[in-house]
Amino acid sequence: MRDLYRRLALSPNADDAALREALARCPNSALRRDAEATLSIPAHRERFDVLHATVSDVGQLRARLGLVHGAHWQGDVANDFSPPPDSVRSRHDALFARLDEAVTLYNRWQRLRGPWLLIAIAVLAAGVGLVLGLALGLRLPAP
Amino acid sequence: MPAAPFSAFERILLQSRSPVDSAVLLLLAWVLAHRQHVSEGQRRRRLAQVSADFRHGHTLSPVMQIAREANLDAIQLAAEIVRAKCSAKRCLGILHQAIAVATDDGELSLANHYILRFLADLLSVAPMTFTALFLQLTGQALKAPDDPSQERYWRRLDPAKYYAKYYAHKAEEEARAQRERAESDAAKAREKRQQEQAKAQEREEQRRREEQQRRDEEQARRRSSHQSRDHRRQEQSRPAPDRTTRALAVLGLTPGVSKQEVRQAYRRLAQSNHPDRFYAASEHQVALASARFQRIKSAYDYLMQTL
Repeated sequence: MRDLYRRLALSPNADDAALREALARCPNSALRRDAEATLSIPAHRERFDVLHATVSDVGQLRARLGLVHGAHWQGDVANDFSPPPDSVRSRHDALFARLDEAVTLYNRWQRLRGPWLLIAIAVLAAGVGLVLGLALGLRLPAP
Repeated sequence: MPAAPFSAFERILLQSRSPVDSAVLLLLAWVLAHRQHVSEGQRRRRLAQVSADFRHGHTLSPVMQIAREANLDAIQLAAEIVRAKCSAKRCLGILHQAIAVATDDGELSLANHYILRFLADLLSVAPMTFTALFLQLTGQALKAPDDPSQERYWRRLDPAKYYAKYYAHKAEEEARAQRERAESDAAKAREKRQQEQAKAQEREEQRRREEQQRRDEEQARRRSSHQSRDHRRQEQSRPAPDRTTRALAVLGLTPGVSKQEVRQAYRRLAQSNHPDRFYAASEHQVALASARFQRIKSAYDYLMQTL
């Protein structure tokens, strides 16, 4: 399977006008015939789009997992649906990094819970005192 | 440090009694989600059946939901876990299950053709083993997937309907093209008339200018004969041939360069505009590049002959 959108230099959600223009300027008559049969009939295009999305997903996964040169990924499909490698790191490593961070935060909270509570109570008391003082100051008439 | 929240599948993995089984479950659910002509309930029952001896210990519906959304991050995570934690024997077992789940009715959907091959690559199962396994399980040889990017596929799928639709579409296109052609013809005719008028005016002006020039030249010749001879010689030695300048401009050069420099410029431009460089981009890009390449090549050939 070929990526007709890529070969016509179109975006997958291009509208009919853009498609017609791309077909008109396409110099390869065989490709133009295939693209006309596939993309310019709405029912066909819908089915092609569904498959296109799935195969693009597979290509993306292969690129991220380092499988773009697999034995089962050859020919037109491999040529058209292998995106360049992006900077997404291993999901497994990312999960464990996040778990590690969560564990560190939790442990730190457990260790410093006492001092943090004391500080919080002190700040709360100071705030309440300030508010009360202000209220009293406003209530009393100036001498 | 990544600050994203834990996704649904990550929470499932953390709660699961066996993360590997949960990951395999997601991959199988992904295959099932791309099976056609099956209801949601049938999918759920099939998944429950195939995962009878799994030890994941959570419900299936969140996993099926993730698979239906085709959440790439979750599937990538599952694939990484399966690749890291499964032995070769287990890998073959997983592929066995995936093929069984994908082809209960003997028909493999197009999407599953690509997904199963992806799983085979992921689980490092060789093509020979994969086709043998497929033949053994389904009783049919694994064929290359049909290609819906070709006209042939749609013609074979439903010939009568295809031709009817195709011809209706063609007729519509032709009608539109004819209308456009008629419009452009009219526009062209109008333009031609205008051009003719402009040309007539121009001719008149040129005649006047030539007369003026002749008169000037005669005056100049009368004034001094050898001065005018000098002038004419200068005009002859001027580097006027227009095509050479244009060819040089194509190569990005200015008049007065040597053959060596022309060759260097040609090599550089030919390398950066060669159509083979754009093979992966699109056919349109390839066509543009080959037009550029042709222009550069003909400019170079011309300069090599004349310089």
